[in-house]
Amino acid sequence: MAKNYLLEILTVVAILAFCAVFLYTSSTMTGAEFAGSDNVGSGMIAELSGKSVDSFTPLIPQYEPPSGEIESCLFALQAAFGGILIGGVFGFWLGQKKNLTESTTNQ
Amino acid sequence: MHIMEGFLPWQWCIVWWLIALPCLAFGVWQLKKVMEKDREALPLLGVTGGFIFILSSLKLPSVTGSCSHPTGTGLSAICFGPWITSVVCAIVLLFQSLFLAHGGLSVLGANIVSMGIVGPVIGYAIYRLLKDTSVNIYLTVFLATALADMFTYVTTSLELALAYPAEVGGVASSFILFMGIFAVTQVPLAIVEGIVLALVFKYIVALKPDILIRMKIFSESQINAARGEA
Repeated sequence: MAKNYLLEILTVVAILAFCAVFLYTSSTMTGAEFAGSDNVGSGMIAELSGKSVDSFTPLIPQYEPPSGEIESCLFALQAAFGGILIGGVFGFWLGQKKNLTESTTNQ
Repeated sequence: MHIMEGFLPWQWCIVWWLIALPCLAFGVWQLKKVMEKDREALPLLGVTGGFIFILSSLKLPSVTGSCSHPTGTGLSAICFGPWITSVVCAIVLLFQSLFLAHGGLSVLGANIVSMGIVGPVIGYAIYRLLKDTSVNIYLTVFLATALADMFTYVTTSLELALAYPAEVGGVASSFILFMGIFAVTQVPLAIVEGIVLALVFKYIVALKPDILIRMKIFSESQINAARGEA
């Protein structure tokens, strides 16, 4: 029984451990802002090149989401699109499989 | 792993674009061939591509006190190879550079090389290496996906180190600095990603084993053995 669900159990354990580590670091670590590593990387670039972060301007003009809300909305859209694809295909496969077993038992 | 728009000198932007473009072109050609050969491959592409969309939108906190996102590219690399995966990644990265200001059009080439090419190539290489051995197929999927994630960030670090060598120690020492930001943050995320995608693969094996066998992703006996134990 337990062996059949080994991967499920491992997944739950890994996610719980991940959350526990987050709670621990966010409560004990000083200066942990949980900013994107992209931004931390950009800060390092500025440090290495001796220029300020603001002096780096886009080479090609780009749209920037005017607020964090708009940005999270667009990210949620991206994730939702992926979720619809996955849910749809798994449902399609399940239906195919059911159809197949039913048609073989009917013969 | 996004290099932000404007943070890469234009010379390097061109270099990475020149590497990315032929890979993308080859990916599109391969994709056309796969779809002509087997229409049943399309849903599988939907699932593996769907995970790239979801996982690359999740920015998760990590031990370094900053946030980063998994890539989700390993599963697609195993099923379709690295070049088709590059095409899917390019679509996601294009969306993020156009609407989210994550990455940008000039650095898109560099970001495609790290997330869409080097990561998946490493993942695919590990899968090919372990495929015909007695290693459990879920362990193979775990290693391929986790390392595809890891090496995406190693590549980003290398791309930045090449463009911004430190005054003392040059490329090597700034590579270590960038690895400290990108790769260390990524270790726990890569492990979780590997486990989750191995679980997803288990469900694909349970629901649609025939497509995996037909596309020769794993052999019939391996799939049957995995179904027996799962």
